[in-house]
Amino acid sequence: MKGAHRVIVETKKIKYDFVVKRNITILTGDSGSGKTVLIDYIRDYRRYGADSGVFVSCDCDCRTLDNEDWERQLEEITGSIVFIDEGNRFLPTQRFAELVQQSDNYFVIATREKLPMLPYSIKEIYGFRESGKFRHTKQKYNEIYHLYGEISNSDSIEPEYVITEDSNSGFDFFSSLSAEKHINCISANGKSNIIKRLQEEKICGTVLVIVDGAAFGSEMRDVSKYLEAEKNIVLYAPESFEWLLLASNTIPHLNVSAILEQPENYIDSAKYISWERYFIDLLIDSTKDSPLWRYAKKKLPAIYSSPKVIKTVKKVMKLIVWD
Amino acid sequence: MLTIVYGDAENSIYNTSVYFKNSYESEWFDSELAKEIVRDVDHSDVLSGECIQSPVLGQIPPERLSGGVKTLLLMLNEPDKIFNASTCGDNCAKWILEIGKRQDITINLRHMMDFGMNTRFDIVIKNGGEVVHSMKELIPVASQYLNAMRQEQD
Repeated sequence: MKGAHRVIVETKKIKYDFVVKRNITILTGDSGSGKTVLIDYIRDYRRYGADSGVFVSCDCDCRTLDNEDWERQLEEITGSIVFIDEGNRFLPTQRFAELVQQSDNYFVIATREKLPMLPYSIKEIYGFRESGKFRHTKQKYNEIYHLYGEISNSDSIEPEYVITEDSNSGFDFFSSLSAEKHINCISANGKSNIIKRLQEEKICGTVLVIVDGAAFGSEMRDVSKYLEAEKNIVLYAPESFEWLLLASNTIPHLNVSAILEQPENYIDSAKYISWERYFIDLLIDSTKDSPLWRYAKKKLPAIYSSPKVIKTVKKVMKLIVWD
Repeated sequence: MLTIVYGDAENSIYNTSVYFKNSYESEWFDSELAKEIVRDVDHSDVLSGECIQSPVLGQIPPERLSGGVKTLLLMLNEPDKIFNASTCGDNCAKWILEIGKRQDITINLRHMMDFGMNTRFDIVIKNGGEVVHSMKELIPVASQYLNAMRQEQD
């Protein structure tokens, strides 16, 4: 499945109106904010249609998935948005993760639980809040809102130490960038090691942690709470390192601006579990015929550490002062 | 005292909503603490042991309370059992600490609950026996055990 899909779910009492645009969307946040109510409404609508008193509008099927017979149902559903509430024991299983990876559906999951096998984006983690807008006096409007942004800071920062999630090309690039600035750059060797590395390193000054936002969702809660408890650490989470290179518009004869503006229209959920993988493939495929620019994930080709590329990537990294 | 098991906990109740639906007793709503929890978390009033006044949904039965409130009521009334407290949002954390002050409870957490960055507490982490007193102490310990949690096999 591709594209952005607007979902409206409405009763006389509550209205929900939001857009789903990646294969995995997480609904989380405070108790009593209306996550289960939303899923109950969709279940009622599926069972009873107009008799339910629920109105659902979407350009594709919206359905719910519960414990009973979930595996068979999931194998049969296609082209739908599948809503799953917390409390389903299959959510943290390997089998569920496998079926999501091959699925032509989008999934909206109400949970606070870490699901490390599902590489979901920090940008698709939402909370609900009452927005105070009313269509008529009795109806309350539940608004969806982003819990995390691309950068954890609202002011500009000047890094004095860099930690990358990546240990391959991304690390090579940020090592070169950090060397230019005469600051240290280390790799955490994986997204689940960030807190451990922050604890191990004896660091003075402002630390910039760089991760691939497109697949960092399961770690985001832990790391953002660690950042709240400790000072002088900023998290920067662009979609991925390859996205940064593509967005910098520095590679000759490569114009992917239309894709980067609305990736959801190009990325098939059945083929790509995460946008991170798509941007790697896009960069590799777009540069494969150029001996100079041919990209490799394992080892960064020299051209990508050139002053010109570094300069253009720095411009994309808003709020981070390198010079 | 509050004890937490991070990750997978044997014999814990994972789907607290279903357990609550089939186990709650109307007397549970007689206590002032239960009424206060319902008011604070769900902004609702207890009319009786079988009827809650919600500002959004109108009069509802207890099984339509939020997942967080239902789990808090289970912790309060069945302290010998271990409930999945990842069904509780951060707005339930102060009530978990409060219940833990009144009686010994053990809960299961599968995410990083925020008990308040400026709150002091005494929590035992059952996984390794650590005792922590602040979020600054708790986060690295909890993170270690949450990372060790592997996706369960079917």
